[in-house]
Amino acid sequence: MSEFAGMEELLQDFLLESSELLSDVDNKLVELEKRPNDKALLNDIFRGFHTIKGGAGFLNAAPMVTLCHRTENLFDKLRNGELPLNPGLMDTILDATGQVREMFGRMGQGLMPASAPQALLSALDNALAGGAAAPVAPTAAPTAPAVTTPTPAPAPAAATSGAQDPDWQQLYGAVTGQTPPAAPAPAAQAVQVAQAVAITQPVPPSPAQPAAQRSAPAKQAAASAPAPVENTIRIDTHRLDQVLNLSGEIGLTKNRLTTLRTEILQGNAEAHTLRSLDEAISQLDLLVGDLQNAVMKTRMQPIGRLFQKYPRLARDLARQLGKEVELVITGEETELDKTMIEDLNDPLVHLVRNAVDHGVEPTEERIAAGKEAQSQVLLSAEQVGDHIVISITDDGRGMSAEALRRKAIEKGLIDAETANSLDEKQSLQLIFLPGFSTKDQISSVSGRGVGMDVVRTNIQKLNGRIDINSIPGEGTRISISLPLTLAILPVLVVRVCNQPFAVPLAMVREIIPIEQASMQEVSGKPTIVVRDEILPLRTLSGLLGWEPTQKPSFGVLMQSAEKSFILAVDSFVGRDDVVIKPLENIRPRGVAGATLSGDGAVVLVLDMEDLLKPQEANAQASRSLELLAL
Amino acid sequence: MADKNTRFLIVDDFSTMRRIVRNLLKELGFTNVDEAEDGQVALHKLKNQPFDFIVSDWNMPNMTGIELLKAVRADPQLRHLPFLMITAEARRENIIEAATSGASGYIVKPFTAVTLEEKLNKIFQVMGK
Repeated sequence: MSEFAGMEELLQDFLLESSELLSDVDNKLVELEKRPNDKALLNDIFRGFHTIKGGAGFLNAAPMVTLCHRTENLFDKLRNGELPLNPGLMDTILDATGQVREMFGRMGQGLMPASAPQALLSALDNALAGGAAAPVAPTAAPTAPAVTTPTPAPAPAAATSGAQDPDWQQLYGAVTGQTPPAAPAPAAQAVQVAQAVAITQPVPPSPAQPAAQRSAPAKQAAASAPAPVENTIRIDTHRLDQVLNLSGEIGLTKNRLTTLRTEILQGNAEAHTLRSLDEAISQLDLLVGDLQNAVMKTRMQPIGRLFQKYPRLARDLARQLGKEVELVITGEETELDKTMIEDLNDPLVHLVRNAVDHGVEPTEERIAAGKEAQSQVLLSAEQVGDHIVISITDDGRGMSAEALRRKAIEKGLIDAETANSLDEKQSLQLIFLPGFSTKDQISSVSGRGVGMDVVRTNIQKLNGRIDINSIPGEGTRISISLPLTLAILPVLVVRVCNQPFAVPLAMVREIIPIEQASMQEVSGKPTIVVRDEILPLRTLSGLLGWEPTQKPSFGVLMQSAEKSFILAVDSFVGRDDVVIKPLENIRPRGVAGATLSGDGAVVLVLDMEDLLKPQEANAQASRSLELLAL
Repeated sequence: MADKNTRFLIVDDFSTMRRIVRNLLKELGFTNVDEAEDGQVALHKLKNQPFDFIVSDWNMPNMTGIELLKAVRADPQLRHLPFLMITAEARRENIIEAATSGASGYIVKPFTAVTLEEKLNKIFQVMGK
């Protein structure tokens, strides 16, 4: 049951567009803290609330209209210099945006938003009343930007237009009487009518609210508000035209093929007919490739849409923790598949919070260490080849490998012997173990140690990798590498036991021949040394639980997240771009889905993570070891 | 009565709002509608294509509705065009400014198709005289 019956489409549009607008407002607010007198910023924020109010009015969302209206009036006073911006007021304003976002969340579920907390409305009223009283005498109503507020409780904002209507008609008559429309109306007449029109209402003063009380609830709301569900997408018409154009051309090529087929079926297989056939198929090949690309592009969205939520997040968190943090964003124009952008939100929120909470040290500690009091957290995105690399870099205290190892032993995640065998890089990977949390005191902010392993799992679901670098005292850098899209997966097709299998190309580093002489046994397991790196050797047939039909002759050097290993196969077919079809009803271990090869054969696409998971029997004992050793 | 082929130009920076106005006009039987996302774009369209009626928001980036109104009234080719100002600004000095700048009507958000029709009819009446 939607409370917006008959307006669902309008609601979707409104939520999509307004959410973007609000994120933009949020960012501008963070900017505004740095440049409180920037007229252009104040204007933009004013317009943001104004626009949201206008749309909300048509949806009869009175609570949102009321809230936006007051906030808008506040910004009107701010931009006119009638009110100074102070930190307390800033908190109130940020609470208001949090509240609006919360309302979007409710509306996204088809529910009419509840009224904003009275404390927040009163705080806004106080600010408005305070501003009006100070610089402008209350009696100077005609010159002051007196506001017709729908503030009194019984009359919701939506009623304003009705009340104004008849008065406008008088004014209308007065002015439109002058036929050349540009001619100004005589001043006296206008003023006379104006008095009839105006229903100015001084904002009623409200009892003062303690600052803490008014900012606390809404802050919570800003963090927990559910994002409105987005099931529509906005596409550049140019990109859509390209899809249309290509599908048209494919249609033409198909026609040509049909004609050629008829000719060939009628026995005309002359050289030039076959050459035409060859040309047509080559062209189709090109066009289909282009079409796939073009369709993929329609799903691409700039990652800035995601990034723009974080400066506010970092700012609020830093304030809460008493730290000074600036979140610097670069590469926001980098484009990524829409579904990936959505799925990246949770991991990125977690990483940004981690950087501010755990990475950045308290201000005193920074000063003691000779660093700037304000820390910088850099969030960047860039396209590297066919991958997108997102990284979060802080200039905080960094992580000590020794401390991580100690912590992991304390938590019983690894034993001392394993710990000793870990190098610096492997020690950093410990934070990805389930149940690992580096902070002794659990802060309400960064969660309860359910963090990094979930982050890594989420990134891996997107066929991505997460890497970590840290220098004690200098900072930490976490980078995420993702494929451009999930729709088309580049794979390497290998053969084992006379059956083809596809493995994600993203994991393949190189292919090496396997010679018996180069194999070494390390603690009972076969390994091969590749450029001074000792890599475990796993046979695909072994992983699948099949009897090998021949000695493997090629090794595929695979890397997933932090693990590297060599996958031994009988031979390989080559690389291919495939579309994975999930298997229905059955889910064999280690199989992500199936695809068709060029000759129409079914090829299973392997899920290496799943395949590498230890079998039930030796699972518990070897899990953490396996995770690190592989 | 009004010609249902009247060609409208809706000017608003918020696409949801343009859609609302477009739908309301459609309800009233006006389907010959184009859109512009701010005053600048609108002015460009007005100078290059024929329009019969302008429905504009007030508060927009780049060029506001009132600036557009003034520009339209200052242009000998366009000055005759009826101009309905749509906005949430329910302040008297705004109304006066719109009126003195030559707005043909002023409608406050939110409004219904009925209200819009009343406003349009009033403007068509004045034009018909």
